[in-house]
Order: sequence, then structure tokens, then C-alpha cells
Amino acid sequence: MAVAAIGTSKLSKDYGMGRGLFELDLRVEQQEVFGFLGPNGAGKTTMIRCLMGLIRPTAGSAQVFGLDCLHDYVAVKRRVGYVPGDMPQFGSLRGSEVVAHLGAMRGGADLKVVRNLAERFSLDLSRRYREYSSGNKQKLGIVLAFMHRPPLLILDEPTSGLDPLNQQEFYKLLKEARDGGATIFLSSHILSEVEHACDRVGIIRSGRLVRIADLDELHSIRFHHVELEFAPGAKVPIAAIRSAAGVEEVVVDGHIVRCTVRGTFEPLLDAIRGATVTNLVSHEPSLEELFLEYYQESASTKALTN
Amino acid sequence: MVMLLLALRLGRWGIAGFGAVAFLVTLLQSAGFYRVAGRTEAERQAFGRSMSILAAQFSAIVPPPVRPDTVGGYVQFRAFGSLAIAFAIWALVAASGAMRGDEERGIVEAVLAAGLSRPRMITARLAGFALGSLVAALAATAGLLAGVASGGETFSATAAVGAAVALAALGVCCYSLTTLLVQLTSARSATVFAGIVLLALFLINSLSRTFDGLARWRWLSPFHYYELSSPLVPGGGLDARATSILITIALATAVPAALAFSFRDIGSPLFRFPARARPASFEMSRSPVWRVPIVRDLYERRISLLVWAAGLAALSAVFVVLTKTIVQPLLAIPALAAYFAFFLKGDVYTSFLGYIWFGFAQLLMAGFAITHVARWSAEDADGRLDLILSSPISRVRVVVERVIVLMLGALLVAGVSGVAVGVEAHYQAIELDGRRLAQATLLLVPFTLVFGAVGALLAGWIPRAAVALLGAFAFASYLIVQLGPIFKLPEWAEDLSAFKLYGQPLTAGVDQTGLVITLAIVVGGLAASAIVMQGRDIGT
Repeated sequence: MAVAAIGTSKLSKDYGMGRGLFELDLRVEQQEVFGFLGPNGAGKTTMIRCLMGLIRPTAGSAQVFGLDCLHDYVAVKRRVGYVPGDMPQFGSLRGSEVVAHLGAMRGGADLKVVRNLAERFSLDLSRRYREYSSGNKQKLGIVLAFMHRPPLLILDEPTSGLDPLNQQEFYKLLKEARDGGATIFLSSHILSEVEHACDRVGIIRSGRLVRIADLDELHSIRFHHVELEFAPGAKVPIAAIRSAAGVEEVVVDGHIVRCTVRGTFEPLLDAIRGATVTNLVSHEPSLEELFLEYYQESASTKALTN
Repeated sequence: MVMLLLALRLGRWGIAGFGAVAFLVTLLQSAGFYRVAGRTEAERQAFGRSMSILAAQFSAIVPPPVRPDTVGGYVQFRAFGSLAIAFAIWALVAASGAMRGDEERGIVEAVLAAGLSRPRMITARLAGFALGSLVAALAATAGLLAGVASGGETFSATAAVGAAVALAALGVCCYSLTTLLVQLTSARSATVFAGIVLLALFLINSLSRTFDGLARWRWLSPFHYYELSSPLVPGGGLDARATSILITIALATAVPAALAFSFRDIGSPLFRFPARARPASFEMSRSPVWRVPIVRDLYERRISLLVWAAGLAALSAVFVVLTKTIVQPLLAIPALAAYFAFFLKGDVYTSFLGYIWFGFAQLLMAGFAITHVARWSAEDADGRLDLILSSPISRVRVVVERVIVLMLGALLVAGVSGVAVGVEAHYQAIELDGRRLAQATLLLVPFTLVFGAVGALLAGWIPRAAVALLGAFAFASYLIVQLGPIFKLPEWAEDLSAFKLYGQPLTAGVDQTGLVITLAIVVGGLAASAIVMQGRDIGT
């Protein structure tokens, strides 16, 4: 059995008052894109800082490629590319100098790789860091993480501040890195992002890992709030919508219909076929809504089983 | 009201720090007066005459004393003269921090987004500083009254409060001026630009005492109006008109400052020239300096290193010139004979230079170390250390590299000033032993490292308070050595000072014991800071 890219055993970091990370057991295989999903303050960054050896766990341990994150942290860093949750200050240094500085600390960076990454994200490296927008600072963080082509990428909310085009470019970069043999550990609080980019997802809440799901499982627990607006005077197929599979909580307000859709949209689209829909809006639920839904579902399943 | 409270909260460390310094300075000077001035009327008059002769040599920097034979006149000259400079520096740093520093940290945006208008924000920050500086100045009053009480005398509380009011008014005036000036430039150069203007205003007033041509411009300087008040001097008082002018300048400059702030873009200066169009570059820097550890850190600090080296060299040359001109008049002052006997050994010029310049140079080098420690703490707080440690380098290496950078920087700064001392001494016909001068210069490096090692330990242990604690350590060490002879402190107390370890290398050669203890502190401090760094959580 190949050594895991990331492994934690009862990993805990207790900040007191119920804050921190508690008894987290996790295994991320090599060449896997693992999403670490949780709302703000759930413990995602704490987990990542433990993996990076920046903070000491209160209990338990964490390994990267079998190396202890606390004691072998120098060897661990040789194998890791890291995007921090918040990019730090580099004052009046130019982007090109920040890359050269941190690249040299790794023993040198490949000029071609850096150029390619900067071009892909349209990041002008001749500008001073203090002149960068938050999105450009984030792009620089991505360049710094990927420039030495590490076998493991630990990315703390890497798309925050990126516009949709650059997000798509970033997802492509993730895919290329994975295809090139890299393992990716990506934290996020956006369900669609991890769904889009990851093979498996760990869901963390209040410092505890509540579930590890593959993509199919993730699809099964997710839902959308949908609002359909029909043309004035047009017939609204209420009965068909109510009876469509996966469509729940249907509320009719004149020629506007609001409902919740689980799973695929196909049954709903079949139900409204032929009707004149002037507007269709779909909202992704917040993570808190998703968790609430998930826990209610678990509780009712448990009650049924009992 | 909420904004005023926020302003006070953001400036609380400045208020506490400058309040403590003001209290200590006036306490020590007033208590010290009774030690050095004598008890009888005749003794005090003789002391007053001596002080007047001594002060005349420094009239280009501080105003001449009035009635230094009284505790009020002495403290007005010794304490409130230097506190004026300290409060002006505080105002400069606080105002540029409030306007441009907070802008970079996003605090200004957050405050404005909450619905506060820009003029109201400036008003609240100005009011916050006014309140804070008054509190700190009143601490000086308290120190004076406590010091006088220690001498078994009493002092008019009204006069002491008057001195505090004048000091606070000067601080507020400088704050408001800085608030206006920092609107005009980029955030990066705001403090330097405002500092240059305030320095020019200070020099116009102080040099006008020596150069008559400047006298007609004196009215421009807030320091001139401050000096018109002498509330502590018998027969003197708070000059209501001069103090009103200071407050009027503060209010009058706040208006254009608010206008400028309203008209400019956040993050930009009022006047901005369009940037030259140039093609984007996607290339990493190929400069070899980034490839070499230590060198890259020195390169990053090159501007500040050059400023420190040039500043210390210029100051050292000034001290050599002063030494040549003031030593003989000072030696003629009987009351100071006992004080000078403490360090005058062999050639008087060499002894004087060794004690006065190298004593001051130690203080400056401690300041140099503190600026490095401030950066180490900032790297921890703003997340840069996170990114550095995401590279495959050990935490111990980070500590060692930081201290080596400090050592090489100190070597450069001290070395340049040593050369300046040697060259200027040659021109002033002061014969210095080259070997001793080299020793005295080089010994500044391990001395600086003492503060670096203690600072590294503090930065690893409690990074947010490291600068304040190290500054207090440096200040206390300096006071112990400077005031030890006056207060006749026991030797063990003086041995607690880092400055004592340096010895008198220019006259007596290297103090072997002091050097060994210095190196032991450096090695011990470094080892302890490496252990602390290894075991701590970064960024907390």
C-alpha cells in the first residue's frame, strides 16, 4: 500500500472555548484532489497550519508522505507548495523580486515555469507588491505555490479574490498538476468549487470532521433553491412541478414558483416543458443550510432505523 | 464618540509609552536636581551659572535655560526641552500612521464604509491625539511634582499643568501639520516627507538662535511658540497667546487636511502623476542578490542601512566638532568637575569623545537593533513568516540569518561612523589611537547583538510586545548608566545595564570581562530564542 500523501491521527489543536480542531483522522491518497469543506471558523486553516508545521498540535499527529509534520518539517516543505489563507505584506518589493526571493529559499525556481504561470494569470511581475489588488496578490500566491512543481499542494481557499475567468484557469492548473502526479489538498467554503475540482471531500464543522464523501455522495446531499417566473397569462404547470422527482417545498406566488430541487434538474425541466418561462434562477444553499439539511436527514434516518 | 474611542484605542500604546517616558524624564530630572545643584542658595546659583555656560554650547539644538538654579528652570530646560522633540516625533508617527498606515491596513476603508465622513474622521483622530497627548503631558507634570516632593520641596501645580498644556499644544500642532502633509505624497514616502518638513521647522527655530538671518522666519515654526511659554520658571508662565497660536495652527491645518483627504483617492496622494505606460513583465528577477542567503535580506534593507550609516556618520562628525569646541569651557565649570572626573582619564578630548559620543552611539545602535526586532515581529504578525517557513528552511536558520543580517548591518553602520570619527578627529587635530578607535567601533557590534539576541527572544516569546519591552530595556539601561553617577547608584545596579558592558574602549581599551559577558548574553539569548522559536506556534 502506497504511503498516504497526507495522514492525520487524532489530530487536535485546542484553543479553548470549543475552538480549534478535535481528533481529526484523515487519509489523502497520492494523486488525489481532496477538498476540505467547511464554513468560516470551522478549523480548515488550523488543519492546514498543523500540516505545514506552523502550529503544534495539542494531541495527535500529522504526516505528509510518511514524514512527521512537526519533527520533519523541513523535509515536508521540500515536497509542498502552499497558498496561505491571507497573503502577507511584501511592501515595496516587486512581484518578480518576491518570486526570486522565495524561489531562492527553495534552492531556485524554474524561470520558464514562473513565466508560464504569470502569463496564464496575466500577472505583471514588474509591479510593486503594494500596488497589487487582492486578486493579484492571490495570483502571486498561486505562482509561489506551483513554481517548483511540488508533489503536494496545500491550498487554503486559493480562489478567494480571483475573478471567474482566473478561477477557471486555476481549475485547469489543478487538473494539470493532478495529471502530472501531484496531490492536492484544497480548503474551501464553496460547495460548487470543491464539487468542480475535487475527487473527494472532507466536511468539517466546529473543528470536527463530520463526513468524507466522494462526488456521488456529495451530489446526493446537495440541493438548489429554484425560482421560476412564467410569462403573465401563461399556464403554470403546478401539478407537474409538484409531482416531479426531487422537487420539494413548492410555493406559488402568482406566476412565480419557488421550490427546492434535489439531485438533477431533469425532472423539473421535463415538468415545465412547453410552458413559457421568462426567468429561471437557481441558488446554491449555504454550507450552514446544507449542514442543517444533512443533520436533519441523519436524524430522521436514525429515527426510522430505530 | 465611537470614532474618538477607536482613535484612543488605536493610539493606546503611544499614550502609555510616551506618558511613561514623560513621567520618568521629569521625575528623574527633578529628583536629580537636588543631587547635583546643592542645597544652599550659593551652591544653586553656582550650579545655575555652570548650566548656563554648558547650555550655551548646545543653543543650536535646545533653547538656553532660564533660572536653571531653580528646580522649575532646570526641569523646563532639561526635561521639557527634550520632551518637546519627543512629542513632535510621536505626533509625526501617530498622524502618518493614522492617515496612511491605517489606510494600508484597511482600517480607513472600514471606517469610511461605516458611514463616517472624511472630515469627521480626521476630526476624531485629531481629538483622540489631543486627548492622548494631554494625558501623556500630564504624566510629565506628575513626574515633576513627585520629583520635587522627593527633594522635600513643593511646586505650583498650576505651573506644572501649564507646562503640560504647552507640551500637548505643540504635539497637537505637529500632529495636525503632519495630517496635512501626508495627504500630499504616496503612503510610502509620507512619513519621510512630513518628517523632513517638521525637522526643517525645528531647525529654523533652533538655528535662528545662532544664525541671525533665520530669525525673521522663526514665526513659521511651532517650536518657537512652544518656547515662548516657560511656566516652570520663577516669574514665567504659560504664554496664552503663543499657546493659542499653536492651537489655531492645528485647527487651521486640519481644515485643508480634511479637504485634501476628501478630494484624494484612498491609497493615493492628492497630486498624482499618470504612470508611464510600460509592457507587463512575466519574468522572475534574475538579480544574483536574491540567490544568496543574508545578502538578499541586506539588499532588501539597503535604503534603511544607508540612511542609518549616513546619519550616524554625520552625527559622529558633529560630536567630534562639538568635542573640540566645548570641552575646555565645560572643564571650567566647577560643579561639573565631579561628574567629568568620573570618566576623564588621559587626554581630555579622547575621554570626552569616548564617553559622550560612544555613549550616544550605543543608544543609537540599540535603536538600530530595535528597528530590526520590529520587523521580525511584523513578519510574524502579517503572515510573511508563514510564507518564509513554507520553504524548506528550519526555524533555527531563520533566527540565525536574522541575527547575522543585524550583525552585518551593525558592522556597516558602526564602521562608517568609526571612519567618520577618525577623519573628523584628524581635521580637528584630536589625536586618537587608531587601534582603540577600531576597538571602540567594533565593540558596538556585539553591543548591538545583545539587543538583537534579547529582541529575538522577545519576538519569539511575545511578538506583539517585543518592541515595547526591548525599547523599555534600552531606555532603562541607558538611564542607569547616564544617571548612575548623579544618583550615586550602587555598582550592582549599574552592572544591570547593557551599556555598562561596553566599557570605555577608546580610553581604556577592551574590557575583557564586559566583552565575555556581552558575548555570553548574545550566545545565550540566541540559543534561548532558537529554542523558543522551535517550539512556538507561528502567528500567535
